[in-house]
Amino acid sequence: MIDEYSGISPKGDLILLQKLGEKMSGKSFLHINSTRAGGGVAEILQRMIPVLQEIGIDARWEVIRGDSKFFDITKKIHNALQGNPERITKEMWAYHFEVNQKNAETCRLEADAILIHDPQPVPLIEFKKGGRWIWRCHIDVSSPVKEVWDHLLNYCNKYEATIFSVGKFTRAMVVDQFIIPPAIDPFSEKNRELTGGEVDETVTKFRIPVDRPILLQVSRFDRFKDPIGVIKSYRIVKKYNDCILVLAGSPATDDPEGEIVLNEAREVAGGDPDIHVLLLPPFSDKDINALQRIATVVLQKSLKEGFGLTVSEAMWKGKPVVGGAVGGIPLQIAHGATGFLVHSVEGAAFRIRQLLNNPDLAKRMGENAREYVRTNFLITRQIRDYLSLWYSLENKGRNILEL
Amino acid sequence: MGSPAKPFEFKQCISLIKSTGKKAKDLRELREIIGFISDESLFHHTYQYFLERRILEYNNDFAHWAGESLEERTLSEYFSNIDPFLFKGIDELRKALLEVIDNYLKQFPEPREAMPGNEFYFNEAVILFFPAGLKANNLAEFLIAIKYIDPPSIYYHFYEARIRLGSGIDDFSKWVEEALGRKELALRMRNIDPLMHTLDGIRGHLAEMVEEEVKKDMEVVPK
Repeated sequence: MIDEYSGISPKGDLILLQKLGEKMSGKSFLHINSTRAGGGVAEILQRMIPVLQEIGIDARWEVIRGDSKFFDITKKIHNALQGNPERITKEMWAYHFEVNQKNAETCRLEADAILIHDPQPVPLIEFKKGGRWIWRCHIDVSSPVKEVWDHLLNYCNKYEATIFSVGKFTRAMVVDQFIIPPAIDPFSEKNRELTGGEVDETVTKFRIPVDRPILLQVSRFDRFKDPIGVIKSYRIVKKYNDCILVLAGSPATDDPEGEIVLNEAREVAGGDPDIHVLLLPPFSDKDINALQRIATVVLQKSLKEGFGLTVSEAMWKGKPVVGGAVGGIPLQIAHGATGFLVHSVEGAAFRIRQLLNNPDLAKRMGENAREYVRTNFLITRQIRDYLSLWYSLENKGRNILEL
Repeated sequence: MGSPAKPFEFKQCISLIKSTGKKAKDLRELREIIGFISDESLFHHTYQYFLERRILEYNNDFAHWAGESLEERTLSEYFSNIDPFLFKGIDELRKALLEVIDNYLKQFPEPREAMPGNEFYFNEAVILFFPAGLKANNLAEFLIAIKYIDPPSIYYHFYEARIRLGSGIDDFSKWVEEALGRKELALRMRNIDPLMHTLDGIRGHLAEMVEEEVKKDMEVVPK
C-alpha cells in the first residue's frame, strides 16, 4: 500500500516512514476512538492502520461502545470543550467513567504505544496496563467551560504526552504537548480520482443541475458548521450570480444533535429549488468525492472547528475554498493564496462572488491549494509525525534525533 | 570535469512541534516571555522559521506575528531586520529581540492586543535528521537533485548547516569548493541571502547557478 504514495507524497516523508518502521519493527501501536464511521478520525484510522502494519508495526484499532445516554453526555462534553455553555453533573461524569470501565474489560489495552482519540475514551488511562499512553485531542479546547476542562485534565495529566491539531488549541498542562495537524488520504474513497461516469452517477442520484456554478459545503449538520450562515451567504450571492447550493453531511453515531440542525437547515432553505440539503448515509464517501469535484467553490464556513479536514479534501481536488477563520482552517488556507478566510456571512458572500467572477483566480488558487495539501496534509505526513513522536518518547530529552 | 573524491549525500529533516504552554497576547507579555523562555524555543522561532515553508515572507515568527496578528507593520520590519546567523549564540539573539521590543515600546508605550486565538504561542521543536536517499557524484547530478529534492533537504543543507558547521557556510557551497574545486561557484552560492528567500526560492537560485556552470562545461570551443 505504501508504494501507492510514491510520486504523490513528498519523498522524504516516505523515506522517514520506512526508517521509523525499521526502528519500531514488531512493536504494537493501539488506536482507540469512539466511532467506526463518520467524522475525520474514523476516516483516517481506516487508512492509517494498514499503512502502519505494512511498515512493520503491529497496529490495531479499537472502538469503545456506549449507549445513547453515553453519547449524549460525550456530545455535551465535546460542546463544552469548544466553549458552549453545558453543565456536566457528577452523575454524568460517573457514567462517562463507568462506560469506559466496561470497555476496559472488553478491549485489549496491552500495547507498546496507545493513542487515545478525543474525550470519549479518555478515562481508559485509569486502566493502563503498560506502554506509552498518548492523548490525541482533535477539537478546539482553547476556550472551554472551565469545570469541564478541569475534570478532563485529571485524566489527561496521567498520559505521557498529548497531541493537539493546532498550537492555539493547546492549554497549560503538566505533560508534553505536541502539535500534529491531521491529514487526508489521497486514495481513500473520498479523495481518489473518479471517472466521469462515477461523477455522473452521483449527479443523477441527487438530481443536481450542473448547468450553473455549484457552491458546496460538506460537513456534519452541527451548529458550529453554520449551515444557516451558508444559506444566507448563498442568498446574497444569488442576487448577482445564478448558482446552486449543496449542503451535504453524514450523520455520526456520536452526534445526537445532528437531526435538529438538519431540520433547521431544511426549514431555512424553504422551497428554494436551487438549495439541495442532502443527508448522506454513512459510507457515502464516493458521493462526497463527486460533489467536491463538481463544485465551483467549496465552503467551510465554520464558527468553531477542530481542524476542518473537509477543507484539505476540497483543496486536494484543486478547488478554491472559502473558510471561516477558526480552528485549523487558517492553517490550511493561506488567505489569498490557497483560498480565502472569512469572518462573516457577508465576507463569505463577497469571496464567493470574487471567485465566480474570476475563473482564472479560482483556477490558480485551486492549483496552489492542491500543492499545499500535498506537502503538508497527506496521511503519510501524519503517520510520520505519530511515529516520530513515539520515537522521540523512546529517546526522551533529546531535541535532535538522527536516523 | 573529473569525478569528485567524495559525492554529495543529501540529507533532510522534519520537525515535530512541541508547545511550551506559554503565550503572549501583547508586546509586553512577549517581552517578558522572551526574557526567560528556553533557548530551544527562540531557536525554533527564528532559525527554524525557514523549515516551515511560508507563503508570506517574513524572516522569523516574531516578525510574522507582529505583521499578521498585531498588525504592527513597523515592529514587523524591525523584527525582520534581525539576522540570526550573525549571532554567536542564542543569548545574543535574545538580547537583540529584547532591544527591538524595548525601542518600540519607547515609541509606542501602549501596544495593541492580539485577538483571542491570535496570541503568540511559544513552541519548541524536536528535529529528526535522516538520509534523503540521494547522492550526487558530479555537478550535473547535483543539478538534477537540487531541482527535485524535497524542500526540507534544502533547509538542512542551506540553513541548518550554517549553525552545524559554525562558520556561516552552507553544505552545498562547501562541497562545490572542497570536492569539486570550484571556488568561484561556491562564492556565488554564498552570495544568496538566506533571509530573503523561501526554500523554493533558494532552490531556484542554486539550480540557475549550477546549470550555468554545467552548460559552460559542456560547451565545445572551436579550435
